[in-house]
Amino acid sequence: MNNQEKIALTGNQGIARGFYEAGGLLAASYPGSPTVEILDSIKEYKEVYAEFSTSEKVALEVAIGGSFAGVRSMASMKHVGVNIAADPLMTFTQTKTNGGFVLLSGDDPGMASSQNEQDNRVLGKFANMGILVPGDAQDALDYTKAAFDISEEYHMPMMVNITSRVCHSRTPVVLGERREVEPRTFEKDVERYCMIPPHTHKLQYSMKERIEKLQELAYSSELNALEEREGADTLVVTSGLVYHNLKELDLNLSIYKLGMVYPISPKKIQELSEKYQRIIVIEELMPVIENEIKLMGVECEGKKYFSFTGELHTEDIEEGLKKAGVVQERKTTDLEPVDSVKRTPLFCAGCPHRPVFDILKKLRKRVIGDIGCYSLAMLEPFKASDSIISMGATVGITKGMTKANALVGKSEPLVSVIGDGTMFHSGLPGFVNLLHQRDENDNMTFIILDNRTTAMTGGQATAASGNYTAEDDMSVDIKTIIQSMGHDNIKEIDQFDYESAKKVITEETNKPGISFIIAKRPCALKFKIQENTFYVNPNVCIGCRNCVKTNCPPIRMKKYHNIEKLKSSIDPDMCVGCSVCAQVCPVDAIQPKGQHPDHSKKGSAKYKRQEYQKMNLNNEDSK
Amino acid sequence: METINIMLGGVGGQGLVLTTDVICKAALKAGYNVKSNDVIGLAQRGGMVWGSVRIGKEVHSPNIPVGKTDILLGLEPLEAQRWEHLINKDTKLIVNTREIHPTPSLLEKKEYPKDEIADLFERYESYISNFSADAKKFGNIKAANTVLLGVMAQFLPISTDIWKETLRENVPEKAIEVNMKAFDYGYENFKPKS
Repeated sequence: MNNQEKIALTGNQGIARGFYEAGGLLAASYPGSPTVEILDSIKEYKEVYAEFSTSEKVALEVAIGGSFAGVRSMASMKHVGVNIAADPLMTFTQTKTNGGFVLLSGDDPGMASSQNEQDNRVLGKFANMGILVPGDAQDALDYTKAAFDISEEYHMPMMVNITSRVCHSRTPVVLGERREVEPRTFEKDVERYCMIPPHTHKLQYSMKERIEKLQELAYSSELNALEEREGADTLVVTSGLVYHNLKELDLNLSIYKLGMVYPISPKKIQELSEKYQRIIVIEELMPVIENEIKLMGVECEGKKYFSFTGELHTEDIEEGLKKAGVVQERKTTDLEPVDSVKRTPLFCAGCPHRPVFDILKKLRKRVIGDIGCYSLAMLEPFKASDSIISMGATVGITKGMTKANALVGKSEPLVSVIGDGTMFHSGLPGFVNLLHQRDENDNMTFIILDNRTTAMTGGQATAASGNYTAEDDMSVDIKTIIQSMGHDNIKEIDQFDYESAKKVITEETNKPGISFIIAKRPCALKFKIQENTFYVNPNVCIGCRNCVKTNCPPIRMKKYHNIEKLKSSIDPDMCVGCSVCAQVCPVDAIQPKGQHPDHSKKGSAKYKRQEYQKMNLNNEDSK
Repeated sequence: METINIMLGGVGGQGLVLTTDVICKAALKAGYNVKSNDVIGLAQRGGMVWGSVRIGKEVHSPNIPVGKTDILLGLEPLEAQRWEHLINKDTKLIVNTREIHPTPSLLEKKEYPKDEIADLFERYESYISNFSADAKKFGNIKAANTVLLGVMAQFLPISTDIWKETLRENVPEKAIEVNMKAFDYGYENFKPKS
């Protein structure tokens, strides 16, 4: 490829390319928005070992192993992933880094697809890492390379912290060549790699020295760019995409754009404070840069003008600068969205979660939810998820609520739902923990939604995917693993056989004890349903809306010619033929195409049974 | 050249991200600077998705300032209407009229705003058709977005050769022919009324 040719890359692709050009050899991740495409992209490079690990903690540990062994290694994850990886991280960062190490963390200001808005620059500092923040795809590429160089030169684990907007934004990038880096070796050195108290005491000082050396680098590094305007008396300190949004305003300000937001050079800030009357920090989320500058004893302003939450768009920046008195009159106008009909996400046509939550809604059970596509069950019309906290949390929460209820004399059957990916990520320890102080009167039902994939992030494999797809190599059997823990009541269901699934869920949720139900239908996006589409016979339809309430994208009430009442309808372009609507219809008004409208109930039952057998359910050895 | 701002609105699963990608690549091939945005993540499950592309000599932010949209590309009518506040009196609307009803209208809680949308098309320079039905005629309903690109191409300083080359490089091999037809159809059949 011509090196000077510019191509459009997303920030995520920029990170992947930077890793490649830096001579990166080992990359691990766990799928999560906004960073999932990084490892997807890295997998394209044949020279590299790349894996989606079972959790962010494991991914980080794999990358630590790569770094110990002396090769350039990266772990990439969404911001909340760093929470579960924080245990190894906080101790690993004490060590003198061997092979270059980068932790790529994807923040989500405005929470486009996350359960919280934490600012991981705080975690980076907490872990004594240097932090680089890219603002576009070229930065993403360049900073990732720089992070590896700094990591090896300063024996310092580095964080590249990118925001969701930059992850997905496409900008022109000039590519470079890959540079092969001489691998270092792992020499036995217990003081360096075994983190026990006498060793760690000294390391507190070496971490501090490392940061001080990086402050010196920050003074002169090209990562930090000073753009001075003739005659300007105000200096804005900023980073990332906020810099580009600010530039849009073309104001008479000088700008200090930090590529490295931690540590910042006190010497540089001191010099700048002597030159400028005012320093204003513009940053999304927490006042990280602002606090660093204040800690240096230099006066600056920031969060009093700009929001602590959400993104800072050009309009927000101008408004903040107006409050600060820097801008006299607004050039931009604020967003005033039209009040139109909202479009929340919903289960896809053919989604295997639909019948499960339709059943749970009808049974009026309390459902403790978790993270995945099935989080959508909390929305209309199911409203069948009463809590969503973090990956795998449903298991412990369900147990805790059950025990607490018992203590105060309440008894409520609880249903816990968890996907296969989430279960492998962090549900299994909770399942083992259920065995502790087991009480026969506790009524907990754990429904494992085994759709064979990590669906929400685009269909990456789980540890069970290899049972179904030749290209995936982990074939853990979910039932066996739960059985081997000592749980004995495990049922498997095909939720596209609606009545049978409903019977099992009803029985299990009504009886005391711990029940497991594995719902085995796969994700409709990854495993396409190849069946005839269905249609509604409006002359048979009684307008009960049972089908509409399953909230399938192609199904809605419609005015038919010569029929007074509204009757249901199915858009044939969107229907995939899962048959769930036909099965909840009380009058057989919904039929597969090509079948005669008055086809008997037996006919559709036969259709279902064939499908049922294909699922290969195994309930024989369960009680 | 002034910066050209293109706003895209659609429904998760319609291929908005790929459409944004194709526009960026074509603009870059034509020698322009380009920046784009799109939302992906939770929104992909039938929720609202949007993207923006800014093409020009020097582009800073990938976000389109309020009221500065030159072309609003609606992959679905309601998702075009949603961004009305970003457009101005000169904005061109290119919209696929194939409706995809959102949950509130599927559940009969809110009516799908047909009248408001029709009114919107009256008030602005609009190029509208059921592009999905058009694409289906060419053999693949998924080529609907390519018809939209064909319509849009006549308003952008990017040659049809570049558009077609970009499409060829970015759609699956077996879909190339359908996409070429879809592009030509859009380019030739929706001329401005002068």
